[in-house]
Amino acid sequence: MNCPARVTVPGLLIYTIISKSMKSFALKIALILFASVLVFSCTKDLEEINTNGNSPTAVPPSLLLPGVMRNISNEVVGTGWGIGNIVIQHTAKIQFVNEDRYAWGEINGFWNTTYANMRDLNNVYVLAEAQGLRNYMGLALVMKSWMFSIATDCYGDIPYSQATQGKGDNFFPVYDTQENIYNGILADLERANDLLESSPEAIEGDIILNGNKLRWRKLANSLLLRYLMRISNKRDVSAQMQAILADPVKYPIMESNADIAALTYLAASPNQFPIHTSRIGSFNEFRLSKTMGDTLIALGDPRLEVFARPTDASVTAGSPEFVGIPNGLDDIEALTYNGGSQFISRIGAVFYENAITSDGIDIARGFVMDYAELQFILAEAAQRGLITGDAKNFYEKGIQASMDYYKVTMPAGYLTMPEVAYNPANGLAQIGFQKWIGLFFHGLEGWFDWRRTGYPVLLPGKANLNENQIPVRFIYPSSEQALNSDNRNTAVSRQGVDNINTKVWWDQ
Amino acid sequence: MFHILPTIRLSATVRQAFSLLTLLVIFAGFNAAWAQTRVLKGTVLDAETGEPLLGATVVVSGNETLGSITDGEGKFSLNLAENAKTIYVSYIGYERTTVNIGIGNDLEIRLQPTATNMNEVVITALGVARDEKALGYAIQKVDGDQLTQARETNLVNALAGKVAGVQVVGNPAGVGSSARVTIRGDKSLNFNKNQPLFVVDGVPILNELVGSSGKGRQDVDYGNTAAVVNPDDIESITVLKGANASALYGSRANNGVILITTKTGKGTKGIGVSVNSTTSFETPLLLPEYQNVYGQGLNGDFGYVNGAGSGVRDGVDESWGPKFAGQLIPQYDSPRRYLNGGAMTNFRGGDLFSVDENGNSVPLVTEVVPTPWVARPDNVRDFFEVGRTLTNNFAIAGGNESSNFRLSFTNLDQTGFVPNTDLRRNTIAFSGGINPTDRLSVKTVINYIKSESDNRPSNSYGTENIMYLFNCWLGRQVDLESSKDYWQRGQEGLRQFGSNYNYHDNPYFNLNENTNGLAGDRVFGNVVVRYEFTDWLSLQLRTATDYSYELRTQRRAYSTQRFPFGSYSEARVNIEERNSDFLLTFNKTFGDLSVNVSGGGNRMDAKYDYLETFAGQLLIPGIYNFGNSRVELQNDLVKTRKRINSFYGFTQLSWKNYLFLDLTARNDWSSALPTASNSYFYPSASLSAVVSDMVNLPAWVSFAKFRTGIAQVGNDTDPYQLTQVFNAGTPFGPNRVYSESGTLVNADLKPEISTSFEIGTDLRFLDGRVGLDFTYYNIVSKNQIIAIPLSITTGYNNKIINAGSIRNYGLEAMLNLVPLQTQAGLKWEIDFNFGLNRSEVQELTDEVSNYVMASRYISVEAREGERMGSMYGLGYQRVTDESSAYFGEILLDSRGRPLRTTNRVLLGNYSPDFMVGINNNFTFKGLNVGFLIDLREGGEIYSHTQTVGREGGQIIETLEGRENGYDLTLPENGVYFNGVFSSKGPNGETVYTPNDPSTNASAIKLSAREYHSAFTQGRSLIEGVIYDASFTKLREVRIGYNLPNSIMGKLPFRNVNISAVGRNLFVWSQVPHIDPENASISGGTLIPGTESVSIPSARSFGFNVSFKL
Repeated sequence: MNCPARVTVPGLLIYTIISKSMKSFALKIALILFASVLVFSCTKDLEEINTNGNSPTAVPPSLLLPGVMRNISNEVVGTGWGIGNIVIQHTAKIQFVNEDRYAWGEINGFWNTTYANMRDLNNVYVLAEAQGLRNYMGLALVMKSWMFSIATDCYGDIPYSQATQGKGDNFFPVYDTQENIYNGILADLERANDLLESSPEAIEGDIILNGNKLRWRKLANSLLLRYLMRISNKRDVSAQMQAILADPVKYPIMESNADIAALTYLAASPNQFPIHTSRIGSFNEFRLSKTMGDTLIALGDPRLEVFARPTDASVTAGSPEFVGIPNGLDDIEALTYNGGSQFISRIGAVFYENAITSDGIDIARGFVMDYAELQFILAEAAQRGLITGDAKNFYEKGIQASMDYYKVTMPAGYLTMPEVAYNPANGLAQIGFQKWIGLFFHGLEGWFDWRRTGYPVLLPGKANLNENQIPVRFIYPSSEQALNSDNRNTAVSRQGVDNINTKVWWDQ
Repeated sequence: MFHILPTIRLSATVRQAFSLLTLLVIFAGFNAAWAQTRVLKGTVLDAETGEPLLGATVVVSGNETLGSITDGEGKFSLNLAENAKTIYVSYIGYERTTVNIGIGNDLEIRLQPTATNMNEVVITALGVARDEKALGYAIQKVDGDQLTQARETNLVNALAGKVAGVQVVGNPAGVGSSARVTIRGDKSLNFNKNQPLFVVDGVPILNELVGSSGKGRQDVDYGNTAAVVNPDDIESITVLKGANASALYGSRANNGVILITTKTGKGTKGIGVSVNSTTSFETPLLLPEYQNVYGQGLNGDFGYVNGAGSGVRDGVDESWGPKFAGQLIPQYDSPRRYLNGGAMTNFRGGDLFSVDENGNSVPLVTEVVPTPWVARPDNVRDFFEVGRTLTNNFAIAGGNESSNFRLSFTNLDQTGFVPNTDLRRNTIAFSGGINPTDRLSVKTVINYIKSESDNRPSNSYGTENIMYLFNCWLGRQVDLESSKDYWQRGQEGLRQFGSNYNYHDNPYFNLNENTNGLAGDRVFGNVVVRYEFTDWLSLQLRTATDYSYELRTQRRAYSTQRFPFGSYSEARVNIEERNSDFLLTFNKTFGDLSVNVSGGGNRMDAKYDYLETFAGQLLIPGIYNFGNSRVELQNDLVKTRKRINSFYGFTQLSWKNYLFLDLTARNDWSSALPTASNSYFYPSASLSAVVSDMVNLPAWVSFAKFRTGIAQVGNDTDPYQLTQVFNAGTPFGPNRVYSESGTLVNADLKPEISTSFEIGTDLRFLDGRVGLDFTYYNIVSKNQIIAIPLSITTGYNNKIINAGSIRNYGLEAMLNLVPLQTQAGLKWEIDFNFGLNRSEVQELTDEVSNYVMASRYISVEAREGERMGSMYGLGYQRVTDESSAYFGEILLDSRGRPLRTTNRVLLGNYSPDFMVGINNNFTFKGLNVGFLIDLREGGEIYSHTQTVGREGGQIIETLEGRENGYDLTLPENGVYFNGVFSSKGPNGETVYTPNDPSTNASAIKLSAREYHSAFTQGRSLIEGVIYDASFTKLREVRIGYNLPNSIMGKLPFRNVNISAVGRNLFVWSQVPHIDPENASISGGTLIPGTESVSIPSARSFGFNVSFKL
């Protein structure tokens, strides 16, 4: 709304009064009244003044996607580093050992990141739906399924069907059972595959798969197989698995490492691999776990040289050797083990200082899912008779894919070593073991899988603070006690006590 | 001269105004016929100083219609009847004196200052001068000269202890740091909305605290913007405590008003020059007490190789290493020699690189030569320098009947006791007034302040704060003197030299290379035009602006832990507020009734612009220029605007000058609120009765007044709270990023409203030698606009709602005593200021019963039925069975460590129970000695120094459990955590077993390191590190002497005063290691009740010289 006079009114008045003689009292009063009217004639301007010019009220989906993808990927890397690698004994801590001793307080990263980013992912979906952009809808559903699966695998029952309804004035979403969440995830992934199939529009802002619809469909279907496998101890998933594998046109799945779904970080700050910016001391608190070190050394597995580096002392002495440290030692044991930190292997340079080199950029990524994992899923499914196929073939392709990914050459005879050579009688353990290696630094996927299969057999560290149990769950954020207590309490009474040893549905 | 009281000395301006007013009244009834007359001339002087008194009233006894007032030289001339015998002279602040005139002329009349002034004129809301006795609400005044002698760089700090009910919490954060002031306690659930409005010469000025953290940097306290008002230009400060006093200032005065009146040239005879010079020296008031028995390392082992883990525990930054015995151990500052006993080099332990013939850095092939292992008990103390503050003020003022001016220049030059921190501030203040006609007056005040810092220290827990290193992670053997040369040899500009490369930055490197600079320009001032249409009708027009521009430059050098490639940031903070108002005043007396009616309006426009440009990495080390960025620059820009239009009116009715009724009303229209509810009205009423004038009271009662008032104040909110928006984030390569705000806005907000009631008395006895001022108040603040947290599962972090009802009630008492006053001129005055406040959360909303106001180490929560400022956190699990002998004991887990509660429990409250300021002042002739004691009782504080200082083995407490080293089989080593184990007995009952080795064979001993870490269970259990924050401070000591003008002879100096002053000299409290008066800064919010490895607060000693020419 226009304002008749934009000059500073009192300024004008001052000028008037000083410069002109006051002719009559009435004139003066009139002037004052006039001033008052002027000052307040612009009340409609108030609305205009309160218009936020800093930020738009609407944006296209392509501007929302990159943030969601980066945030969740950073969480995968960050929690993978801080908890995931440790709990499945890829790495172990030599200092500040609480998490390695299972003195876990709240670990809220995935909770907060999942739900906070679900806000924008939901916006993507709603905007895309309104404009008929089926590709964005499909992509959003794949992301949503993946994110919710991580969240439920961390916590068990969580808000799902009523989540992200703050704008609809639902401030107390119910906690769905994990079974219902998985039903939703499976249905969404099926739907995503359909949506992505039929739409011509280009996808922008996709920093994971660069707008490649086919690769999104491959990811959707590969994730379907992952989640069917995840719940395979609770229901018969063979028909669904077989249906997917039977129709590669309708259900394309990952066919090679070229189909890997992972966020590739940049060389330039501030979008580098998140661990790259740690202080060196913080990075070096994490070392090669004896569990992984000893087994990879025994196998002569070349991936060890990517995952870790020879001890500083051995390098100085000119005879490089890898040494892992047991998980779950107490503070002093951890720092003095084997004579001290210079005698224990640090984690590989591609995950820290070399994360910004071309090798690092290729290797240190934020994984959604990779091709090797899919092969191990298929191997397990074949071994268990859920699908038809050659378990050994899948298994060996998985190992090869993993070696390829880490840019190492499989040593001659690796696949025929007694420990590695596929033996159906011991197949599930072998598959589990190789999958475990392949899932190094893949967020929490290794933990979820270990919880389901029990492979490889892991023992809690001797100074653990969890009554000799490896944790199988995160506790709910304490903020939920204050902000959504009824629904949380219902979930706890249904699922079991809110601690790190209560098994989630598919793990029961 | 120091008065810390409600008894208040008048400014010359006000005195004159008041005298004029008196005279007007006198002449209003002028009707006497001229008798035979003569002219009497004389001079009125201050009996103590001999200063002429301007504006004193001289009246002929028995014929009050004949009178005059004195001019700038104290001279008067009076027409009086030949037969007149006596005149009396009165002047506010002085004893009324009757003088026998006889037939004399050229009388010299000396007036004695009154012990306590009964009729004070004070400046109230909108700059209206009022007779204090007419006020129906509590106010308190601080004179400007109290602020210039014992100086504080931050004006706000200078108020501590001087005003009842006012709490000041300084943030100990080095030079120029901010302070939080609250009046009558916290009323708002929003932390940042509890501070009073600052008003200078009738117009609000900014008091903002704009945070500086982010982009990987920690907070730097760039100060609250009201801090910069220059004490030399302040005539007086009036604190309007309650809503009755402040309601006319509208929304923002909900928390009271600090009303500053600046000096003018009014009343100056001719041209006067005054000079004031202060030099002071600052040192840390309190340093943590460190242990000096064990050095860096773990379990008694240490040996330096590269400070990053290649040696014996040399990556460990804790002090659990070898005992100091002078043994030889390689250290970061030990020399290096070539291998196998080769020649010595000039490299030090921490020099890790050498340069080869091609100029490339290569690892240095040498070894560290062990040096004696000894404690450095004073390493931190010696790190700090003696801070120095020079303040010089030069003011020139002049005036005549129709005009006056004052021009003042002040230079403040401060170097902090933290090395390489400084603050320079130049202030030019101009004030001028002119009366072109009898009816028209024009006045203007302009202040220009230029502030500069080359560096201010970083704060909070983290690598950029030197105290993080000192209190938590610095080996006690580290000789910081060796850190002064802070580059590795041959690696200058590339690699810092330090004691630990795993986590830490060298403190000298931090302070000299990683600087946080500031260049600020601030202009505020106003123009006032006043026109008197008639004797009873006047109009005032005023326009004012306050403009603040700050350029913040933050450098980070190569090899900084958080910025290996350095970084550079510039932030421009531009805040502006303009106020324009008019006020029409009608003033008339009808018999015994005097009526003053005013009406006016105000428009406030506020503007905030913030632009930050950030180069996250640099190409060439040491070049701080955006062209030298290795990476894409990041820009953040925020602009907000707000306007409030207001109309207001007020009426002051006075009956026989002893019964006073004030009514006010104001309506605001705020742009920040929805159109439907952006208009809000609020009234106030107050009543004051001077009983001592109404009835005859015993002679020992000099004055008795009762007052009461009720008032409402409405309040709006920040701009842009009504529309949901998407915010830009950091791009990912070429991909731009947006994200919807996590705060759900509310398009239906209503204004906040607070209702307050107060009642009080002002009593003076024994000719004013005893004065008691007492106030009770009750304030209920409703519909507060806050962002309540939501479960993140809703997709949103919080939503903005109207909620809450907070009740504040309390007592304020001011007691002024003159225990001693002799004819010889000795006078002893004591002033007590007492404030007691309780803030209660009466209700929040249906949806939430607790609201987290701040969360940092502790959680500050508002919970229904509790006090505001409650501090929550995890506590010890304890035996809850009251029938057990172990009721209340701490429960231990199976490893002998304390169990923590699963839910947060109430562990304290940051608000004091009450506060007392005691000022003593002795004067004898020109000598003046005084001291101020500031006492706060109650309240708690969390100490992060304690939490992490224990983990790191730094503080003295950590000697417990390692008296004989680390071998747990030796006596005195290890600690049995004091508590009980819980187990099930044979019948399923719970059995408690104390962790006491004398009775329990399976008692568990923790190593010292485990024990001190278990103390807080890895910083999660905070019950053990919450302390009673009660303290007593010797806030101020002053010794001053006024040289008699007579000894100056022909020298031009007059009114020479020399004084020695000390500030914050001693503190007595139960809190170990830190100043209990503490806060931490987090993103522009000062959180009381939390200490985050703070920089020590300053103790200062100084000298002050002032004189006039």
